[in-house]
Amino acid sequence: MSSASVPGTEGDLRTRRGRRAKGSDDVAVQRPARRQDRGEKVLGIVLVAPLVLLMVLVIGFPLLNTVILSLQDQEVVGTPSSFVGIDTYREVLGDSALWQAMRRSVVWLLGNLVVQTVLAFATALLLTRVGRWSRAARTWVLLPWVIPTVAVAVIWQWLTNSSYGIVAKILGLVGVDGVQFFADPQWAMPTLIVMNSWHWFPLGAVIVYGAMQTIPEEVYEAAKVDGANAWHRFWRITMPLLQPVLFALGLVGTLWSFNIVDSIYLVTRGGPAGATTTAPVLIYDTAFKAFRASEAAAMSVAAIVLLGVLAWLYIRLAKPEEI
Amino acid sequence: MRLPRSKGRTSLAAGLVALALGATACGGGSGGIAEEGEGNGQTLTFWHMEQPPNRVQAWQELIDRYNETDPAFRVEQQVQDWNQIYSKIAGAVQSNTQPDILFTIPDFTTYVRPLGKVRPVTELVEKLDGEHTFIEAATAPYNDQGEMWAVPLYGMVQMLWYRKDLLAEAGVTKAPETWEELLAAAEATTRDGRYGIALPAGKNLATDQVIYSFMLTNGAGQFFTEDEQPDFDRPETVETFEFYDRLMEFSPPDSANYSWGEPQAAFNSGAAAMAIEKGQYLTPFEEESGRPAEDLGCAFIPQPAEGGQPGSIYYSNAAMIMAEDDERAAAAEDFLSFLLEPENYGDFLNAEPGLFLPLTATGVEAESWTSNEVITKYRDCVDVMMKQSESGALFGFVDGQYVDKIGNISGQNVLAQVIQMISVQGQDPATAVATGQQLMLDAVRD
Repeated sequence: MSSASVPGTEGDLRTRRGRRAKGSDDVAVQRPARRQDRGEKVLGIVLVAPLVLLMVLVIGFPLLNTVILSLQDQEVVGTPSSFVGIDTYREVLGDSALWQAMRRSVVWLLGNLVVQTVLAFATALLLTRVGRWSRAARTWVLLPWVIPTVAVAVIWQWLTNSSYGIVAKILGLVGVDGVQFFADPQWAMPTLIVMNSWHWFPLGAVIVYGAMQTIPEEVYEAAKVDGANAWHRFWRITMPLLQPVLFALGLVGTLWSFNIVDSIYLVTRGGPAGATTTAPVLIYDTAFKAFRASEAAAMSVAAIVLLGVLAWLYIRLAKPEEI
Repeated sequence: MRLPRSKGRTSLAAGLVALALGATACGGGSGGIAEEGEGNGQTLTFWHMEQPPNRVQAWQELIDRYNETDPAFRVEQQVQDWNQIYSKIAGAVQSNTQPDILFTIPDFTTYVRPLGKVRPVTELVEKLDGEHTFIEAATAPYNDQGEMWAVPLYGMVQMLWYRKDLLAEAGVTKAPETWEELLAAAEATTRDGRYGIALPAGKNLATDQVIYSFMLTNGAGQFFTEDEQPDFDRPETVETFEFYDRLMEFSPPDSANYSWGEPQAAFNSGAAAMAIEKGQYLTPFEEESGRPAEDLGCAFIPQPAEGGQPGSIYYSNAAMIMAEDDERAAAAEDFLSFLLEPENYGDFLNAEPGLFLPLTATGVEAESWTSNEVITKYRDCVDVMMKQSESGALFGFVDGQYVDKIGNISGQNVLAQVIQMISVQGQDPATAVATGQQLMLDAVRD
């Protein structure tokens, strides 16, 4: 908000009174304005304080608690424990299970990023077409996104079941038998990535579609006049102008994808034979299946650090020039 | 500090909102079931993990009946998820919002007790035992350090379920009794896109339980030493896993991701001729399979022809009392006593007839149970289940043992992990069992 007085307000009156008392003295004119600045600052702090307080409570406190827990030797969550320094970190970071899970997390993350980006872009481009079908699709495309994760998991398990799943039946008709989508270590992770991408791509599609609508049509028309084909228009106009949106979407989507547990857990629980045990799944299992809360906390801290580094690298490498 | 009037009002309003938010946040942290109860002095909360709507509805009717007796505390059920209860109860205890009554199974009790809120119920169980006579297998897994830690409510046991029509089609005229007969029957019925048996082999408790039933029949059911150390790597265990792996050749190819539901769906749809599970197969059989009740066969878990013994996983489901004060605990005891009264107990068990088996002498004879339509229709199977219960056992609680850290092993589904090493990764059973032994040692280490 500007520091100038609004005519008719108390601040404005005070300024005028100041002028009456001190004539054209600038110092006298400035003093009430400074008071007003301070008032606005206080107002701003008061307005922001609840949110900051809430953030500290719901994010800062659990985070601090996790770090403290990681320096202890707690087993069942909430039971007595003692301080062991960085022993838990030594144990956890020296365990190959964590690094294997991290590797799977990277595969999961990149897989989701690529599949969702391609699906989101393709859908957004289709939605921009003029026509009855694309208008209807703008609503219906959101359907997978609004389905609860539990339902998505059940649907996909039924679809791919070898005894009564329609996918298995269709594949059988074309001579492909015995594909074990969630039961084969080779197939489980790719199938989960496709399932998760199917669930979440509409969100990206709608955001990309919305961003595309902000690009002026004249730019495309001018490019057409200059002889640019569809590919050139997409690559030279659409992509650069969408960069800020894609950057934000990529950052949020990456962090979001990394942390997904429910989709994986509901379908494979990290199996078969650990093939889909990503870092968050391992952390959950360590805390609530192996009952080693401090080890899970140490893994969580390691994951937070890794995510922080990834986010930093992403911002450094992919930040659009306009931002 | 003086502010312009309009901004002063805004600041004041904002301050009040901030204060209100802060107060709400604080209230959210300290509120909970105990406080709610104190607030109206009426509500007793019990958590259970029996999610199917028919079970929830049946128990609600019973709760309504109890509440109509005008008790000091009205009872309210809250349905939880087995997959989330471990984290949820830990959080609830930390925030002092635990339920007054929490349903449990033996290994889950070993997890909850260290949280410090479970009350011993020895006197209540002794009183109920005097009135209704518990079977010993029901109370033993909850007896530790001279105290009872939960009130047993119903038992569950696994059986071999088979489709008489499908076995007959394949020329199998009698139910398999030995491992060899089971393999032969599974092989004979695996044809025309149908599988002989639907076995769970995912990393889950369903897989653990079916494997453990076979382990019991091969004398490998007790896999702890006297000092509660894992003794899993034994020839009997290896033999059992070899057998399970051979049996999986006749199970659907995606069995490595099967849990409770898939084998039953395959069985009822006719995609598999046999399955091993508990009594939940009775109620939906006719509707889901489209076949008459006579086509559903049940038999004891097959055992090795040489050196085998009867056995099946059996455990009692029970209720722990976690009430914050004595008054609420007394009210919880009153409700649990009400459930075990013969006129109510049958209705309680009939939430899932055939799956929930009585574990008191008065309950077995209770008309409210024996007159149930499903129990009447499948009485022969129910009798076989009751008989099978006599040879039932649960890992960690065999021969009166109480392994404190059994939850660490069952929580990690070590038995299921071993079969996945064999059937998914192609390891030989001896190596996989040795790895399982190591996993168990890691799980119970301090």
